[in-house]
Amino acid sequence: MNVAVILAGGHGTRMGIIDKPKQFIDVYGKPILIHTLEIFDANLDIDAIAVVCLDDWHEDLSIWLRKYELNKVKWIVRGGKTRQESVRNAIEVIKTSCNGDDIVIIHDAARPLVSNRIIKENIELAKKYGAVDTVIPTTDTIIRSKDGNKIFDVPVRRELYLGQTPQSFKYSIILEAHDKAVKDGILDATDDCQLVLNCNKDVYIVEGEKLNFKITTMDDLLLLKAIIKLGKIGEI
Amino acid sequence: MLTKSYKIVQPKRFEIYIDNIEPKEDDAIIKIEYAAICKADIRYYLGKRDMRVLDKKYPMSLLHEAVGIVIKDYSGKFTVGEKVALVPNIVSNCMEDKCTNKVCLDNKLGQNYCPRALFASSNYNGFSRSIIAYPSSNIVRINNNIDLCIAVFAELISVANAAIRRIDIDKNDRVAVWGDGILGYILCSVLHNIYDVNFTVIGKHEEKLKEFTADKYILLDDEYKLTSNVDIVFECVGGSNSENAINQIIDTINPGGKIVLAGVPDKNPNIDVRKVLEKGISIYGVTRSNVNDFYNAISQLENDNFYKCISKLFLDELIINDITDYYKAFEMEILNRKLGKNILKFRF
Repeated sequence: MNVAVILAGGHGTRMGIIDKPKQFIDVYGKPILIHTLEIFDANLDIDAIAVVCLDDWHEDLSIWLRKYELNKVKWIVRGGKTRQESVRNAIEVIKTSCNGDDIVIIHDAARPLVSNRIIKENIELAKKYGAVDTVIPTTDTIIRSKDGNKIFDVPVRRELYLGQTPQSFKYSIILEAHDKAVKDGILDATDDCQLVLNCNKDVYIVEGEKLNFKITTMDDLLLLKAIIKLGKIGEI
Repeated sequence: MLTKSYKIVQPKRFEIYIDNIEPKEDDAIIKIEYAAICKADIRYYLGKRDMRVLDKKYPMSLLHEAVGIVIKDYSGKFTVGEKVALVPNIVSNCMEDKCTNKVCLDNKLGQNYCPRALFASSNYNGFSRSIIAYPSSNIVRINNNIDLCIAVFAELISVANAAIRRIDIDKNDRVAVWGDGILGYILCSVLHNIYDVNFTVIGKHEEKLKEFTADKYILLDDEYKLTSNVDIVFECVGGSNSENAINQIIDTINPGGKIVLAGVPDKNPNIDVRKVLEKGISIYGVTRSNVNDFYNAISQLENDNFYKCISKLFLDELIINDITDYYKAFEMEILNRKLGKNILKFRF
């Protein structure tokens, strides 16, 4: 079984919008979260979906799931205080339905342009290696500064990648990684691959896409809307 | 639903588009699994049409030969996971009471001759899309025992069926298929396996002709002299050799014969009209196919011998992960001189 875990538990403070988190912002008639869910719901390789969602939005989400006929969503999971806790909550909720070799595909709700190719390769490579991360090579040179005033060093660009999602794992591996993190006192990891590495397990790479960007700021939202609008111009 | 498509925006230029699919009540949503490139797609890609015509069509998704899997159905006619073929000829704006053509009521013609019809990758977006919302009336179910990478030939099989139903074939008629390309091959396979008609195939490439299921083949050399005795000829040459082929057929065919033109010429051919008159020849045009032709094509694929014939046309699977793979597929198909097609597997 392949289970998608969609993370919609963040508050998105960088957007400036105060009445709703970014994943619930409407883009051409649907919340961003729904655009993302539709891609996973329509993907024939995905068997079930868990949505980690802020408590206050569970009712809205239930209404949208009915309205947009997102039939693969089996679980609405309480959002945690941190990303790590949100994923942990999802892993616990799906526990009774999963065995160790099942694949868990963890994806940000705010990345609505994830492609079928990325999802497919995540599943294929997670089955083969147990743990994969979606990344893109950096085209810009990355600068490291410790104080924000002067350059500390310039890491070798060809060794650097930008992390995206999905991150996908065999269920047994992600469960073990989260258990060990709690034992080791790691409580606020920004992604799950760090936790798997903490178990001395390898994490392999799936090539991401620039279009699979995260809607974090107003600029990103503008970009997403412009991209969709271009598609409408091409309609004949 | 957001989905990705590749559209041609000018000759030799594809761009990525994100489409927001908004299905209608009678639509099903299909994940396109396999598609094939046709000569018409290559003409659009290379810009081998009048630029003013092209300017009216760009940007447009190419490809009209495609099969896929149902991922959602709003029509109540399909179930999720079913394999299906997409019929590119769409007549959704029929004005039956005001229509003066009524071609759809004539079995020899049909909806593919309707002036109001839309055709995917001609005056409507084609199938170079990851996911498509499509009218259920234009979706034909494919049985599980048929591989989708072979079922993608259903469009060409349907065109062969449309050509055959254009005329009546009497059991005493001497029939020939002119052209050793892929359409000629499929037409021969349908005539042989389905209609059990005796016929001759005529072409220029012996290595290809040997693969055809014909009673005999005739090789045309440069010093063309043919004294065949034929009453009905299906012309499947098209392209730049269309003119030569049609005039050779006019020379060869018996008085009172019927010529079915199925090949699409690159430019308007000059044909020997005087000889057409002298011999009392009837010339029939055929184009595209309709939903019934697709139903026939899919059911014909259930015939083992026919399925084996069509399987020979599958050359290779080209995985399309991104737009660079899509470019490569077009460049490969332009150079392809083999009897068959490279089939595109969509993964984007």
